[in-house]
Amino acid sequence: MNNRTGLYIHIPFCVRKCNYCAFLSFASDYETRAAYTEALCREIRTAGESMRESKKTADDSMELKPGIETVYFGGGTPSVMETELLAKVMETVRDSFELAADAEITIEANPGTLGTNAPAADLSDEYVILEKLKAYRKMGFNRLSMGVQSMNDERLRFLGRIHTAADVIRDVRLAREAGFDNINLDLIFSVPGETGADALRDAEEIIALGPEHISCYSLQLEENTPFYRMAESGEIREVPDEEDRDTYHRICALLRDAGYEHYEISNFAKMPDGRGRGFAYSYGDGEKSVNDRSPFRSRHNSMYWDMSDYIGAGLGASGFVNGVRYRNTADMDEYLNDRTGAERHKTADAGIDADTGTKYPSPYWPRADESHTNSAFDNISEAVFTGLRRREGITYSEAVSAYESCSSTEGREQSNSNREQSNKERFWEIYQDALREAQDYAEGGLLVINEQGLRLTERGIDISNGIMSLFV
Amino acid sequence: MSYLDNIRNFSIIAHIDHGKSTLADRLIEKTGLVDKRDMKEQYLDNMDIERERGITIKLQTTRLEYKAKDGQTYILNLIDTPGHVDFNYEVSRSLAACDGAVLVVDATQGVEAQTLGNVYLALDEDLEILPVLNKMDLDSARPDDARAEIEDIIGLDASEAPEISAKTGMGIDEMLEKLVEVIPPPQGDPDGRLKALIFDSYYDSYKGVIIYTRVFDGRVKKGDIIKMMNTGKQYEVTEVGYCIPRTLPADELKAGEVGYICGSIKQVADARVGDTITLAEAPTDAPLKGYKKAQSMVYCGIFPAEGEKYENVKDALEKLQVNDAAFNFEPENSAALGYGFRCGFLGLLHMDVITERLARDFDLDVITTLPSVVYKVIMKDGTVLDIQNPSNLPNPVDIAHIEEPIVKADIMTPNEYVGSIMSLCQNRRGNMVHMEYLTKTRVQLHYEMPLNEVIYDFFDALKSRTRGYASLDYEFLRYQPAKLVKLDILLNRELIDALSTIVPEEEAMAKGRGICEKLKDIIPRHQFEVPIQAAIGQKIIARETVRAYRKDVLAKCYGGDVSRKKKLLEKQKAGKKRMRQFGTVTVPQEAFTEVLKLDDGK
Repeated sequence: MNNRTGLYIHIPFCVRKCNYCAFLSFASDYETRAAYTEALCREIRTAGESMRESKKTADDSMELKPGIETVYFGGGTPSVMETELLAKVMETVRDSFELAADAEITIEANPGTLGTNAPAADLSDEYVILEKLKAYRKMGFNRLSMGVQSMNDERLRFLGRIHTAADVIRDVRLAREAGFDNINLDLIFSVPGETGADALRDAEEIIALGPEHISCYSLQLEENTPFYRMAESGEIREVPDEEDRDTYHRICALLRDAGYEHYEISNFAKMPDGRGRGFAYSYGDGEKSVNDRSPFRSRHNSMYWDMSDYIGAGLGASGFVNGVRYRNTADMDEYLNDRTGAERHKTADAGIDADTGTKYPSPYWPRADESHTNSAFDNISEAVFTGLRRREGITYSEAVSAYESCSSTEGREQSNSNREQSNKERFWEIYQDALREAQDYAEGGLLVINEQGLRLTERGIDISNGIMSLFV
Repeated sequence: MSYLDNIRNFSIIAHIDHGKSTLADRLIEKTGLVDKRDMKEQYLDNMDIERERGITIKLQTTRLEYKAKDGQTYILNLIDTPGHVDFNYEVSRSLAACDGAVLVVDATQGVEAQTLGNVYLALDEDLEILPVLNKMDLDSARPDDARAEIEDIIGLDASEAPEISAKTGMGIDEMLEKLVEVIPPPQGDPDGRLKALIFDSYYDSYKGVIIYTRVFDGRVKKGDIIKMMNTGKQYEVTEVGYCIPRTLPADELKAGEVGYICGSIKQVADARVGDTITLAEAPTDAPLKGYKKAQSMVYCGIFPAEGEKYENVKDALEKLQVNDAAFNFEPENSAALGYGFRCGFLGLLHMDVITERLARDFDLDVITTLPSVVYKVIMKDGTVLDIQNPSNLPNPVDIAHIEEPIVKADIMTPNEYVGSIMSLCQNRRGNMVHMEYLTKTRVQLHYEMPLNEVIYDFFDALKSRTRGYASLDYEFLRYQPAKLVKLDILLNRELIDALSTIVPEEEAMAKGRGICEKLKDIIPRHQFEVPIQAAIGQKIIARETVRAYRKDVLAKCYGGDVSRKKKLLEKQKAGKKRMRQFGTVTVPQEAFTEVLKLDDGK
């Protein structure tokens, strides 16, 4: 619904799999990475072409490349890809899309991976890393996101990370030297065996590195991970919820005091004025500062939370384009070899599979494991629960416009009625069943409901699933 | 020679799973009056629940024709019996309609508790018993042991017991020959006054109630005015006939025969099992003995779940009642669960069957509360109240004493499990009357036990402690005074009436603690602490707390995978629909039935 579009590119390769990780990633050899690059470029080209097609029909002005505002290379570990392979992908992105002049272009890089795949073993590691980072800058990356996770070597080993705290300090320094002025560092807390004090020390050491952005996640035990099996067998013990939440709130306070804006449940961005901002503590709190936003908020991730379009390219990547949510196949062989999408794109009506009639959102040639055309209600519920992840919450006008922007007839018919209704009235008409419980949450100090919309308080975050589920 | 000489009326009796229904199917297939294809539809397509559980709840009666080696054709009336202790009365009435019984013993298992129970019922009716050894196709069959058990335990001569396999059809012809030889033909005077036994009935939406009957004397035909001797009701007969097993109209039914009678009867309660049918004009002098009105032994509340309509539940219960004289219900109002029904059942299986049918046949979403027995409350002023809902227990100061139903429980087990069964029964307030070695390795334990202790999960506990080898048979014995108190449960300091139970005073503390612990696991965390308390009167005897501040947040959307997150939230929302709201506390519906399933195995 928003005019902005982002592009997510998934790199499913890692040096080794971490003990807590349930992401789609695995070890790889050069042949696979090269083949993957080919497939990825094919997909990106197809995406660009098909979006151009759909644009042409909408307004037949010119052969403009579709514009995108953000590019995000995530993984896995994008930095395990050879620099020339990454360059190839970036080149394809530029060929296929019109990158905004101020586009945010992020690459995830794990400490300890920047020195691998060294072209010449005799060069010093530091030199290799710096050259690599400079190369990233040169191909256009202007934001670096590093999976630090902890600053304690023992815990890093336990997590299955390949790096040490010293690697982090060195890589951040080299990134600055290479010219990265927008750096995110990831932090994981509630690692089994870790105390709240340990987690806070990690946070302090990460703050000391001065990143513009910090993502802070509570460790979740995901099925099919070594940690999950270890917890099942009793080998490790999950951090109790009380402790986890206590740590979380203390980290939030620490980061706020350090001048970060707590702008999303798990994300913090530096405020230029050095004055931290956080979620409301209680009703009425923070009304004035709610619109003070850090310029270092991740623009790409923000697109997930405001119903913007984003293309998901790569194995198992998710996207939301033209009102369709989809997820690419997670089967590597299929991803590498299936060209039916490209064929389909050439032969058939851009968005429709001629044989099956399946509607494809637009770009992707790989088969989608999942594809769903949003209804008006899908749109509003997603707008609400993703919007609630943000400090400013969701306004009635955003929510209602998500509802009414839906291309399905259901949304349009309804939008014709009751023109004189305010967005607030309209919102609570759609969610009349949820109102009473929402008010209970508000009275309990977990949710702020005002004239503009809804937002969570910091305590409301803890049980946000319960609140969000009122709106789905 | 009389036509009676060519009739044989018999039942098949067996322990659960010993192959009774399979044998019945095989007999129908071999000698039935309908062809095979019809038979499948007619006979097998009955109740899913029975098939799934491998037990026969509803009776089936079938007329078979068998041409014996002596050249004669015999009418064999197979009167099937329900296979569960809950339905003992129905079993006894079915047996009363017979002249003999085929006793099926699983040759791999030998004699079990219900084998004995059923044999005793058959002997009570003076039936000739033909033992047969089933499952002879299995490698694990040990016919000599089974034969020895039949002789030692039951005292029947089993030397000539046919060896059969109901599954493969092996030995069925020999069995039929033997049946004609051993089981006597019926006696009776076709010209006497009508005397016929109702041994089953069911409701048919076209014909009204269809009565299954065995005529002892006289004859009955269309147009006769019949009278039920115990209920006194009179009806004009609209149709008589044989059951093959579907109804096959005939001119008349006469002494010695088995068949059906229709008379525009509106509900099965008007044609009760055990009642005697006679002619209104020329009644017989006395009814057949043994008539009893079905007595509900177990009660529970059935409430519409969130979003389910009261009227729908009521309609369904009414429909079930039309066809089941043993099931009764009346409106009930619970502060916690709202408007619903208090329902009476013969036993736990009966209760399970009815609640399952509500879900399955009527597609209803209901909450079933804890089962309760009927207590006799003797008040200080001398009045006696029957209390089947713990919430209705009067104020203790007005009560002189309370009596609870005691059952006679017979447990048969391999001897190695005796110790663990004895400790289980002791935990359940059982009193051992005596114990006997039926064979060297097989023991029967006779207990007197409060029914209340049997209805929760006694059978499951028994099975799990004996790896499924023990078998149980029980029947009501008497009411007996007991020191009982009402145990209340409070959630967030609010009394939840649907969770109240009546328990022995000396166990109140342990039970209260157990229930609180269980609820603590069942009730999800809230944003505030939820105290769970067990109380007797005003006195709190146990307490647990569901801790507050549950963490319920998804830290990350994996690479913008909004769909995954949405599914999670949708699931959460759906889960909440199955919850009940009590003030500010949300309780999953299963709490009401799960809470008393205390595993005393640990």
